[in-house]
Amino acid sequence: MPAMMPRSRFSLFDPSLDNSSSKADSDEGGMAGNTTATESSRFYDERARFNSNLLSGPVTYEWLSQADEARLNSSAEVFHTVHDKAVLSREAMNGDNSSSRFSVIDEFNFWRQKPELAEAVAAIKALTAVIRRSEATTMMGLEIELKKASETLKMWDKTSISLSAGCDLFMRYVTRTSALEYEDISAGKSRLIERGEKFGEISLKARQTIASLGQEFVYDGSVILTHGYSRVALALLKLAASQGKRFKVICTEGRPDNTGLEVAKELMNAKIPVMLILDAGVANVMGQIDMVLLGAEGVVESGGVINYIGTFQTALVARSMNKPVYVAAESYKFARLFPLDQMDMSPTPRVVELAVPEQEERIKIHTSGRDYTPPQYLTLLFTDLGILTPSAVSDELIQLYL
Amino acid sequence: MVATMPDVQPLVDEFCTKLNRRQVEGSLDTAKLALVLLRQVISAQRIPPNASAAVLIDAIKAVGVRMIAANLIELAVGNIVRRVLHIIREEDASLAITVVPGVNVAVDSDDEDNSDIREQSSSHAVAAANRNVLRAPSLHNLLESNPNPVKADVTVASTGDSADTKSRSGDKNSRSWKLKHNVIESINIMLDELQDYHSQVAEQALEHIHQNEVILTLGRSRTLLHFLLGAKKKRSFQVVVAEGSPRYQGHKLAKELTAENLSTTLITDSAVFAMISRVNMVIVGAHAVMANGGVLAPVGLHMVALAAKRHAVPFVVLTGLHKLCPLYPHNPFTLLNDMKSPSEILDFGELSGCLNGVTGGPESHVFNPTFDYIPPELVSLFITDTGGHNPSYVYRLVAEFYSPEDIVL
Repeated sequence: MPAMMPRSRFSLFDPSLDNSSSKADSDEGGMAGNTTATESSRFYDERARFNSNLLSGPVTYEWLSQADEARLNSSAEVFHTVHDKAVLSREAMNGDNSSSRFSVIDEFNFWRQKPELAEAVAAIKALTAVIRRSEATTMMGLEIELKKASETLKMWDKTSISLSAGCDLFMRYVTRTSALEYEDISAGKSRLIERGEKFGEISLKARQTIASLGQEFVYDGSVILTHGYSRVALALLKLAASQGKRFKVICTEGRPDNTGLEVAKELMNAKIPVMLILDAGVANVMGQIDMVLLGAEGVVESGGVINYIGTFQTALVARSMNKPVYVAAESYKFARLFPLDQMDMSPTPRVVELAVPEQEERIKIHTSGRDYTPPQYLTLLFTDLGILTPSAVSDELIQLYL
Repeated sequence: MVATMPDVQPLVDEFCTKLNRRQVEGSLDTAKLALVLLRQVISAQRIPPNASAAVLIDAIKAVGVRMIAANLIELAVGNIVRRVLHIIREEDASLAITVVPGVNVAVDSDDEDNSDIREQSSSHAVAAANRNVLRAPSLHNLLESNPNPVKADVTVASTGDSADTKSRSGDKNSRSWKLKHNVIESINIMLDELQDYHSQVAEQALEHIHQNEVILTLGRSRTLLHFLLGAKKKRSFQVVVAEGSPRYQGHKLAKELTAENLSTTLITDSAVFAMISRVNMVIVGAHAVMANGGVLAPVGLHMVALAAKRHAVPFVVLTGLHKLCPLYPHNPFTLLNDMKSPSEILDFGELSGCLNGVTGGPESHVFNPTFDYIPPELVSLFITDTGGHNPSYVYRLVAEFYSPEDIVL
């Protein structure tokens, strides 16, 4: 991707943090260096794979809760046998890291396969597993070990914002906990593990909070435009529908992942009238709609959001036609980034199928998977911390990290 | 469960009836009356020695819900109820913090086996958590444990040292008394603030109005009158008053200003756009400020705000903290408005034929809303009794003065 490379030194995911053992390097195959147009972000690829497995059939909440219960009740043994197999298969790659037959990345990917778990949650679950396996005898040692794990996780895929935001949030909590009072390592450890385990619950509760706060904004007869696949935005729409509100949803096709199809499928099951449009048809339908509802991959310090490609143009069109743009996002997606423009993010190359003959080398293909929407195009953010104006986001982040 | 004392009930009923019949109107008056009434409810409330704050909160909520339902458009009542609830929570938490170190000392003094480390740490955690109870949910305490298990910890810790249970129960009693006392004290301070509200806002007038400026306003508000008179002490300036149909409060304001020797020009509402290019600043009063920085103001002001925006004239809104509403306007065009009688717009005799739909004749509708919703992007500045604020800062004020759990009552 030669067009992108000159700017890559401004990348926000600073590669100078490169202390992440030889394992990461061998694993990555030097991917960070040569991002070519044909190679796509493995983070997204894996996610797409998970989603295609899991979203094809009807996934119900009952099914999820049962699966969750089974996992929790059948205790650690089942979990570890499944898990150890995965570790063994990757052992060859991990070679040098013999002290523990455990890789935080496998752990992360294991949790990520659960369709209802957001990436930040999976990251925190993975870090919790690190604590559980840790043999550190001091809080400081544990902290160092965790820091290493979190760096490994972040280096594994530098493009994911929610992953690094989740890691940062948990690390911050660890630092504060160890600073607070626990000279006793076991007490500190169990406290951290307990909170890490609970985080899945916290995130589910966050989604419910957002849905119940946000559904107030959906009123009878409204037409809502969505773009991209967002669990929390879907939960919001479903909750509004279950309360007997009558509204229509227009969703974009969402190339190249066809997220709109997934959204439409889920909304159809919830008996919400839905219409699919081309991504290029946003401005065409904007006159008919009453509000735009979006999810977010990450919410950055300016109060803007980083989300699925096409979000920015949707928000721009909405603003120019004076339609409110609402973003539903859990607070653990708040990330300490301050992108100034589109080029200011690390590129997330995707496989994009355009009708260009494969061998035609002279035509370049733009393959960015996401874009940055500045705060002035957003009306309100629905988060589990309440309904926030974009300017409130930096406030929250400052409170946490100052 | 615990009913309010019988002698308060008729007072509450009376206030609700008055609200319902619109015998009390306007945010300041309703706020004051509501606050005085809530003070009476609190002082009449008998508090059992344990679980004191919860009882008080329930009592206030029960009364508050009725008062809010009596007239939904008087948002100030709801604001006052929520602020009183916030005060109770605040006082309760600050008492809890002062109590906890006492527990800690007691444990330290009478045994020194390994259990005391744990207890000490837990009491630290309690103090930390209690500080967090008040704070709105934030990233900061996202991973912290929620207050409920901590509360359980408190009772365990306090029943753990059986040596001084007697003194503890006595202490609890005085604690509930202390809580009530502190809450009433805070309410009194709030009442004083409401009394001083006009003068507090007027004091800032000199910072905003300069010599020979032209100020435009629409309708009448008492705050605005005080504000302009505050500026008049040292500055000479002109005021353009739009009459504010259909209630024509602007006429009254123009008379009052002229009586104070301020050079005043009265215009019709439809002349606002023609005048706006000569104006330095638009200053208006408001009915309520919503949590997103949007404003509920007398009808016609949205138009003025748009005109001001068109000519880049600052649009300044005078408001008090009692008008600060922690709710979001979900659908501002249909919610939160008050439809008045058509008689303000036309006399009955004039168009009575057209209004009669029964005879099958032609029918005309008369639409007479009281308020406009002005979106936050049209507002340049809020001047409140605590100083000037940007619309984007309003969420911060809301977080400061309200507890998130009270926002939906």
